[in-house]
Amino acid sequence: MTDITLTVNGEEKTASVPPETTLLKMLREDLNYTGAKLGCDVGDCGACTVLVDGIAVNACLMLAGQAEGKNIETIEGLSTLEEYHPIQKAFEDVASLQCGFCGPGMIMSTKALIDQGEELTRDDIKDALSGNLCRCTGYTKIIEGVIDAYEEITGKKVPETNPRAA
Amino acid sequence: MADDVKTKEKTESLESLRKADDNLRLPTVPERTLFPKEIGIAPAREQTPAVGQRATRPDGRMHGLGQTKYIDDMFFPGMLHAKIKRACISHAKIKSIDVSEAEKMPGVMATLIGKEIPVNSFGPSYQDQPLLADDIVRHAGDGVAAVAAVTEQQALDALEKIKIVYEELTPVYDPMEAMKDDAVKIHNGESNVYSSKTIIKGDVEQGFKDSDFIFEKTFTTQMVEHVPMEPHASIAEWDANGRVTLHTSLGRITLGRADVSRTLDLPINRIRMIATVVGGNFGGKNEITTEPILALLSKKTGRPVKCVFTREDEFISSTTRHPFVMEYKTGMSKEGKIMARKVRLVCDGGAYCSWSETTLGKACILSAGPYNIDNLHVDAYAVYTNKTMTGAMRGFGAPQVCFAYESHMDDMAKELGIEPLEIRFMNAFNEGSTSPTGQLLEAVVVTDSLKMASERFGWKEWQK
Amino acid sequence: MKPFDFIQPQTTDAALAALAEHSPNVRILNGGTDYVVELKHVAQSPGVVVDISRLQDLKGIEITDAGLRIGAGVTHSEIMADPLIAEHAPAMIDAAHTVGAVQTRNLGTLGGNLVTCVPSMDSGPTLLALDAQVTILGPKGSRQIPLSEFFVFVRKTALEPDELLLEIIIPKENLGKPAGFIKFGLRKGQALALVNAASAFRIEDGKFKDVRIALGAVAPVVIRAAKAEAILEGQAVSEDLINEAAKIAVTEASPIDDFRASKEYRNDLIEVGARRTMQAALAAANA
Repeated sequence: MTDITLTVNGEEKTASVPPETTLLKMLREDLNYTGAKLGCDVGDCGACTVLVDGIAVNACLMLAGQAEGKNIETIEGLSTLEEYHPIQKAFEDVASLQCGFCGPGMIMSTKALIDQGEELTRDDIKDALSGNLCRCTGYTKIIEGVIDAYEEITGKKVPETNPRAA
Repeated sequence: MADDVKTKEKTESLESLRKADDNLRLPTVPERTLFPKEIGIAPAREQTPAVGQRATRPDGRMHGLGQTKYIDDMFFPGMLHAKIKRACISHAKIKSIDVSEAEKMPGVMATLIGKEIPVNSFGPSYQDQPLLADDIVRHAGDGVAAVAAVTEQQALDALEKIKIVYEELTPVYDPMEAMKDDAVKIHNGESNVYSSKTIIKGDVEQGFKDSDFIFEKTFTTQMVEHVPMEPHASIAEWDANGRVTLHTSLGRITLGRADVSRTLDLPINRIRMIATVVGGNFGGKNEITTEPILALLSKKTGRPVKCVFTREDEFISSTTRHPFVMEYKTGMSKEGKIMARKVRLVCDGGAYCSWSETTLGKACILSAGPYNIDNLHVDAYAVYTNKTMTGAMRGFGAPQVCFAYESHMDDMAKELGIEPLEIRFMNAFNEGSTSPTGQLLEAVVVTDSLKMASERFGWKEWQK
Repeated sequence: MKPFDFIQPQTTDAALAALAEHSPNVRILNGGTDYVVELKHVAQSPGVVVDISRLQDLKGIEITDAGLRIGAGVTHSEIMADPLIAEHAPAMIDAAHTVGAVQTRNLGTLGGNLVTCVPSMDSGPTLLALDAQVTILGPKGSRQIPLSEFFVFVRKTALEPDELLLEIIIPKENLGKPAGFIKFGLRKGQALALVNAASAFRIEDGKFKDVRIALGAVAPVVIRAAKAEAILEGQAVSEDLINEAAKIAVTEASPIDDFRASKEYRNDLIEVGARRTMQAALAAANA
């Protein structure tokens, strides 16, 4: 067993886990952050996406030991009782999530994308979400949700593209 | 004036709908945006004010907050983890199963094999599927034994210690081969065909004689897995009063409860099934998978037992969409009118029936397409093969035949030099048409919707 | 995952010492996008896993006397965002962009991609086309070998169990060499290459010079299409010659037939890929 100390959503947390524990398993089972989901366990589906020092990673592919001392952000850290996070609000308003299982991962990927502060196009959004699978929505509503959130947060506009040109 | 009253009524009913919807939500944070901001009347149909309106989901907020509890997000005190040993051999007789070494492994609390299950069979149409294969393995994803241990890894390690002796049997993978008289019989019956359906309308042979052209083509589709984002997951707890509580990702819990009752030989009132939000079903979570196994493991250990499928389990042992072999023969007049059609559908059902019987029926009814065909003959068969069983999946047999009849239509249009849309207008159902099974059709808008859709997506421009 | 011991050295010396101590029952972990997946499925525990993700010596992209130095621990995302790479080897950005998806690129490293040595690796062809060298650290010090010698066979490199890949160097003379990269997958994201290809050459006095055509996923390791290169070398620039070289490239590959694509389809892709990357390199040369 190794003691791992890291920061999750601004709070310092410590857990004693075997070395073969993934960051995802530690978050879910030892620290009770069950927002990140286990979908495929091989880094394909993105349901386990969390931010490690601000970048989106598959928590199922990172060993807990590798996250020692890092700053982790999970879906639980976005909204507070006082403030609803604009990405989560946009996803709710547009009905981006159906079964919802991909949602936490999608939203964390979206956050990493918007936090980069770059001008976005529809293609950038598709590219940034290509590691997050969804089987319900066909992605249309999710992309709409991301666009709404981006426009709300940055005040910028995502250029309209002709769907037939794609 | 009357219209104003109507509008007001609708606006009010829409508001009350919203209120009801809002009351379901947890009081999290600020006000939601309501869609649409201007309330109008749906233009297309006037039956309900909901049509044409943008809707949010009552559970959407919790999904987005990451607060929805799926099965794998639930943990109970003392909970054990179960893993299922898969046969990894597609057709074999089980000579012996030895779990003694597995039981000695650290952390292992109980094991289970098929013979310990009171009624080891289930299925919605025919009860031909064992929960854990105890005699014959019929596809590589068949479970053969289960282990409950303190951690998932301990359960996985124990699976490696289970010794099974198989006597290999000849497998059959191709449904066309499986239909032959001399094929290996997967379920010891007289034939591997376990369901067949026929539709006869008019005189198909005469129809072919009256046709100017005959077109024939065979279409095939592949197996498709649902790949729900959330793998199948359940937790079972057998309590001291002899009642079992099941938390499960099952979509059809009422059916599931009956199946659990039957397999455990336990009165249905002793089974409490708690369904939670399902992380994607698409037809793949309509049947029980491990629930009775977990219940028995829980009974043995006196502790809650959880099992979450790995992605591999999901692919090899859960139901899939049926592969079809579809032979189409269509007689056409030179103007492009369908005179007669003969269809033969062979549905590869995999190792067990599951929902094949019902899927076959739907495929059969829809196989002629939304077209007026006076002379029709459809034969359809569901066949066992030594592959992952096929069950319900979105569309239930319709997507397969739709692919076939529409591809066939395009081929014929090209041969006859008729515009693809035109040939469909010529043959499409209209008001008062009868379906292949004699159902009188009302409110038929095939042509209208085709026209409207083709205008909207720019069919003419795309043709260039 | 089977239990193993986890060591996270903070310096390269400590990492080498750990490797020497536990060799051969030791494996190196960095981004983990490939190795952690493998760990979840192996029947035997590796014994000791050494995490090299904290080693500063493996980080950084810089211009040195030798050329462009890229630390083996640089992630694909870092490559995509790096101004030096954009200036001197932009084809590497195209290659890095095709690796997995954002999450994979954020964790996965260039060194890891090379060390994995799967035929379909996306970093291989471009680096091979730019004559990259690799520096390997071991108990006896460091050695530098051409990347072409680094790849030995499927999942086998020239690395010994106690050695570490330190850096990748694109030689000075190849900085800014016109190059093109293409990958064909079944999808845009999260796809393994059915075929990938990279080409690089200089144009001098209207003639092709130093032609390199590299192909991935068509042989046990990433290969160079030497005959196709020879067709162009020293010849006057022409589209026809590019088309001919692309056809020749097909004869130098031995793609497999599998559930992702047939051999015939891959052969078609090789021709198209080789042609398009040469055209891209030509466009870059003319730009």
